[in-house]
Parts: sequence; structure tokens; C-alpha cells
Amino acid sequence: MPVPDDNPQTPAKVALGRQLFFDPRLSRDGKVACASCHQPRFAFSDGGKPVSTGIYGRKGQRNAPSLTNVAFRRHLFWEGRSPRLELQAVGPLTAHDEMGMEPDELSERLKAIPEYAKAFQEVFGEAPSLRSVTYAIAAFERTLLSYNSPFDRYQAGDDKAMSEAALRGMELFFSEKGDCFHCHVGPDFTDDEPRNTALYTVYKDIGLARATGKDEDVGKFKTPTLRNVALTAPYMHDGSIQTLREAVQHYNQGGQPNLNADALIRPLGLTDAEVDDLVAFLQSLTDESFTTNPAFLPPR
Amino acid sequence: MKGWLSLVPLFLAGALAAPVELKINLRIGEQPLRFGQTYQTPQGQRYQIEMLKFYLSEVALVRPDGSEVPAKGLVLADFRPGGPTQGVSVMKMDVPAGQYRGLRFNVGVPRELNHLDAGTQQMPLGVNSGMYWAWNPGYIFYRLEGLALLPEGNQKWVIHMGTDAFRIPVRLQDLQTRRVQINIPPSGGVITLNLDVSKAFQPGPGGAFVDWRQRPMRQLHGLSPETSLLMSVVYYHMQSAFSLAQ
Repeated sequence: MPVPDDNPQTPAKVALGRQLFFDPRLSRDGKVACASCHQPRFAFSDGGKPVSTGIYGRKGQRNAPSLTNVAFRRHLFWEGRSPRLELQAVGPLTAHDEMGMEPDELSERLKAIPEYAKAFQEVFGEAPSLRSVTYAIAAFERTLLSYNSPFDRYQAGDDKAMSEAALRGMELFFSEKGDCFHCHVGPDFTDDEPRNTALYTVYKDIGLARATGKDEDVGKFKTPTLRNVALTAPYMHDGSIQTLREAVQHYNQGGQPNLNADALIRPLGLTDAEVDDLVAFLQSLTDESFTTNPAFLPPR
Repeated sequence: MKGWLSLVPLFLAGALAAPVELKINLRIGEQPLRFGQTYQTPQGQRYQIEMLKFYLSEVALVRPDGSEVPAKGLVLADFRPGGPTQGVSVMKMDVPAGQYRGLRFNVGVPRELNHLDAGTQQMPLGVNSGMYWAWNPGYIFYRLEGLALLPEGNQKWVIHMGTDAFRIPVRLQDLQTRRVQINIPPSGGVITLNLDVSKAFQPGPGGAFVDWRQRPMRQLHGLSPETSLLMSVVYYHMQSAFSLAQ
């Protein structure tokens, strides 16, 4: 697991990060924790909500992504512009429609909680700050590993781990006909790159272009992991697709006309049965132990 | 002999260096800005200012011949309710005493600092500055936030200007007419700037203006079909929002 030199993992730091992750006191109105939008039972996504609700009921604009195996992501956020978890965590903690904290406000609030004051001193040798909060949360997030799905067990030699439909779907997934594997590649089924999947002809949210200003980046969003994808509906950057089957059908139909559409986007000509098989394969990527692991649940 | 000669300019410069303090007055038009006071945009929308923070960098005094005397350092000016808004000291520098024809600086962080790993940087950079832009790495250069007092209720708005393309150059110099004269005596001096915060709300081409009735306009940060024009409008007006106080 990649760990930055300036934030080595220690059990105490992970425990502190876990405490912080589930603590709504990290938000301005005291009602929103990281876990409010990244819930364990939904593979750390936001349980059926297209977009999440932040402090004072403020709605966000994008779907909260799963944190499954997030330790291995080279690029974070839907634009893929953040290079590591420590820096990514600054975003939700400070965004005014998420947790809305100022650095000094967060620091003062945590200093006033004796348990935190003590824990930060022990882990970081200093008082709580936005920086140390993000470092602790990142350490916890790096423990959120999930490699115990039926697919993993099948790969490990358990021939009965996957259904017949899922096995047919796997063949399609990795074939040129299904053509999922070019983008959803590697152990976590993502290339971590921003792509335009022809979801719309005109994108209301312009994706990567919001940062780069380049026309060719309009509508590009990072390829998400497919691990535990059956638990993370709804789908796409805006949560506009409700079910896995509809998501597969989007790709099967080739999306909407769009000049920036990825070259791989085209009508696939899959039959209904083949779509069902692909969905069965995606469901075989669900790791039930991930959502019930006591180490990933709120501390007592 | 060669070594001795090379020391002369350093010695003279050191002997004549004078301490200069840069101070800022926040204004709404001609009036001192007060947190909690309600103001009105040219289009009649009522608002309050809740926070203003910005980086100043690459500060230099301009000599009569047009050459520049750069001052080292990057500072973060931070204005919030409960704090002063007038005559606030934001930077101290040492420059040779003498006559100058102006001042120039950038609102922003130099490119070579803007993209360093923020987790490893010290204040005024780093994530504890409250200016790190997580989704688009680099810093917010100019952060203005407030409330819009709309008929449907108060709505928070933000203007976050950042990325290398939005570094704001400010040029307060005049070499031709000599209207700008900054005299720095050997004992040092103070240069006071006025910053008209309300310039951000001046209309742009075709009358485009920051219209908080539209939700996308309440978050001006980065580019989008709804906000790119307004980002350019705000950027344009910010270049003339600073002036030398008389």
C-alpha cells in the first residue's frame, strides 16, 4: 500500500483518524461527519443519494464516491486533480456545502475536547490542526481495503465462488465486445484517468474543464473503481443513473452525441441476456466483509 | 581588489536601506468597509462581507527610471469580523531610501510555490492557511465571501480566484506624469493602499454581473459555462481595485 513519507501509518494514528472520520463535530453545524456521506454499509458512498447534503442542509453537486481501496488511487476527486488523500481531505472539511470549517475554527474546537487534545499530542506531538486532522483521516482511509469478493475468491481458486451468469459476464467484461476493461482496468477496475463517457451532449457540470479551462476536457470525469459497485448506486458523477443495469445499458447504447466522447464509447450491440450477465459480474465484485468489518465501523 | 569592489554595492545598499511598512484600508467604494454592514451592488442586490483573505507576492517599488526594487516575501492578508479593516499592516520590507514612482505586486502565489505539496509547506502556505484549493491543487489567491440578502432569505456566496491564469497583477506606478511619488526617507515609511472590495461586483461586457439570485453565481471558483464570464469580469475589475491612499 502506498504511504507518503511524511505520513507513516501507526495504529494510534489510524485509530485517531477513525474517530475523526465518524465525528460530526468536525463540521460547522456539528451535524456532518465524513461518514455522513461515506457510509460503511454502502462501501463508503452515500446510500442512494445522487448528491450529498452538507451543513445547514446545503446540497452538493456531485455523487459521493466509494472509498473502497482509495489508498491506491493516484488521482482523487471526480476531476482527478488531487494527488493524495491528505490533501483531498481538505476539500470536504472546508467546502461551505460540505463541512464548512475554517482551519483555526477546527483547531480550536478540537483543542477544547480533552480526548482529542491528548490524542493529537500523542500521535503528532502537537495540537490539532487542519493539517494533522487530514493526515489522521488519510491514515484511516488507507486501511479501507476490500479484496474478498466472489471475484477475488474465484481468482484464488474457488471455482464455485461466482455464478454462471457472473462468469459469462466476466468474459464479456474483459472482451473487446464488452470492452469495459480498457478503462476499468487493474486490481481495482479503474485506470484513474478522466474520460468523457458521453453521458450528455451538453454537460451542466463540465468536469475536468472546470480546472483546466480546455474545451477538450469538458465532460471528463475520473473512471471510478468498480469494486463494491453494486452497493454504491446511483451512478456517474451526478448520480443520474439509478441502477447497475441502466449504467451498463448506457454504455451498450453508446451514450449521447458528444465531441469529447472517449474513443471507446460506441454502441456495443449487447443482448439483454449479455447485459444481465455483465450486471451479474459487477455484483460479484461485492465484498460483504468490507461493509461489516468492525475496524471500519464507528468506534465505540 | 576585485573582492573589495564587489562589496561596495552591498555596503551602500545596506547603509541606505529603510524599513517600509505596507498597510491596507478596505473600502466599499469610498467608504471604509465594515463587517456586518449591508451594502448594495450596482444592480441593487444587498450583501454583507464575511471574509477577505488574499496573498500578496512579488512586491516591488518602481524607481523613476522604471527599474524595480523587489521586496522578498509572500504574505497572506486576512480580514475577518472582529478584526480591523483600516490601516492594517500586511507586510514589512527594507528598501533603499529615495524617491519612487510607484509600486507593483501580484495578488497570488508565484507559480514556483503554487504547486508544491501543500502538506509540506509552512504558513502562510500549507493547508492550515485556509487557502489551499483541494480539488484544483494550488492556492486560492483571492478569497472573498459573504452573504446575499435575497427576498427568499440570506444565501452564502463565495468568490475564490486561483490557478496560475488568475494571478492578479497590480500596477500602481506612473513614470510619465509623475503623479505618483513615493518618498522613502532613510528613517523609513509607510505605504498605504486602498482596496475597493466592491469592484468585484461592477458589471462587465454586456452588463454581466454577479447575480446571486442564480445559484451557480454564488460559487464563483474555477470555470463553468455559467461562471467563466463572471470570473473574467471579477478578475478584470480586481486589477484596478487597489489604489495608493492619499
